[in-house]
Amino acid sequence: MRRLLRDASIYLAAVLVLGTSANLIPRRHLAWWGKGHEPPQAGVDFTLVDPASADAERASLPHTLFLDTRSPAEFAAGHVAGAVALSYTDLDSQWTPAFDARLRRADTIVIYGSSEETDVEQLAAQELHRRGLPPPQVLAGGVAAWQQAGLPLEGATP
Amino acid sequence: MSTLRARWLHWLLGIVLGGVFLYASFSKLLDPRPLVTIIWGYRILPAGPINLMAIYMPWMELLIGLGLLTGLGRRSAALWAVLLLVMFELALGVNAIRGVNVACGCFSSSAEDVHNAWVLVLRDLPMLLAALVMLVFPPRSSADPAAAA
Repeated sequence: MRRLLRDASIYLAAVLVLGTSANLIPRRHLAWWGKGHEPPQAGVDFTLVDPASADAERASLPHTLFLDTRSPAEFAAGHVAGAVALSYTDLDSQWTPAFDARLRRADTIVIYGSSEETDVEQLAAQELHRRGLPPPQVLAGGVAAWQQAGLPLEGATP
Repeated sequence: MSTLRARWLHWLLGIVLGGVFLYASFSKLLDPRPLVTIIWGYRILPAGPINLMAIYMPWMELLIGLGLLTGLGRRSAALWAVLLLVMFELALGVNAIRGVNVACGCFSSSAEDVHNAWVLVLRDLPMLLAALVMLVFPPRSSADPAAAA
């Protein structure tokens, strides 16, 4: 029993060391005590937009900016025309003054991922909103819905 | 009862359950931030400690997985596995009783990976049983005369 408790304590100590060290890495850092990381709320941090409406906005608003949260390989394989790759987990290093200016110039921002699961896009939208931008739009259904709606991707092989 | 103390059974359970814990930890280790949303979705913890849980729990899952797989401190890994699984069962059970289906955060950090809470409660039970076997019935040592017989 003593050995079991000793080993269990070693596990706990290792978890504390590893967790603390990993949380010092800026791109995956979380505040130690939870505040301000409430779940993104539709209507507050973002609004959902369907592909047809997003495409219509693109046609009518000259500075509609699409942000693509997928992997670089997926982005290279085809993305919405004019879209900018956005790494949610590496947002700080991507947030240069030029990037900031580009975001603030946009008439509207549409964030999209690959599929129906839009939680990363919602978190990215929440982060942009926290940084002083109007609540961005999140493309419902992601690229999959965009393609299903018959809308084109730039760089995609037909 | 002697089968429960068989070395092969502990290795088998360790590999299977250890693999499950390792797999469960990966996406949360890469980025724990979506996990905050998931833990929030359980509506059990106040905002403060949610982040601490998201920071440390994936590492505990990783170490449990490694311990069970390799056999290094397997019993203590099983002890932590039991504690974590009991906690998961309670959290899922509370939401099942409330009638709320949650994103469990079990194998993905997607907040939209929503399942029926009762199904999740049942799915975790075999894992809890496996961990309990490894904790409560440690394998016979080779010096044990009963094992040699």
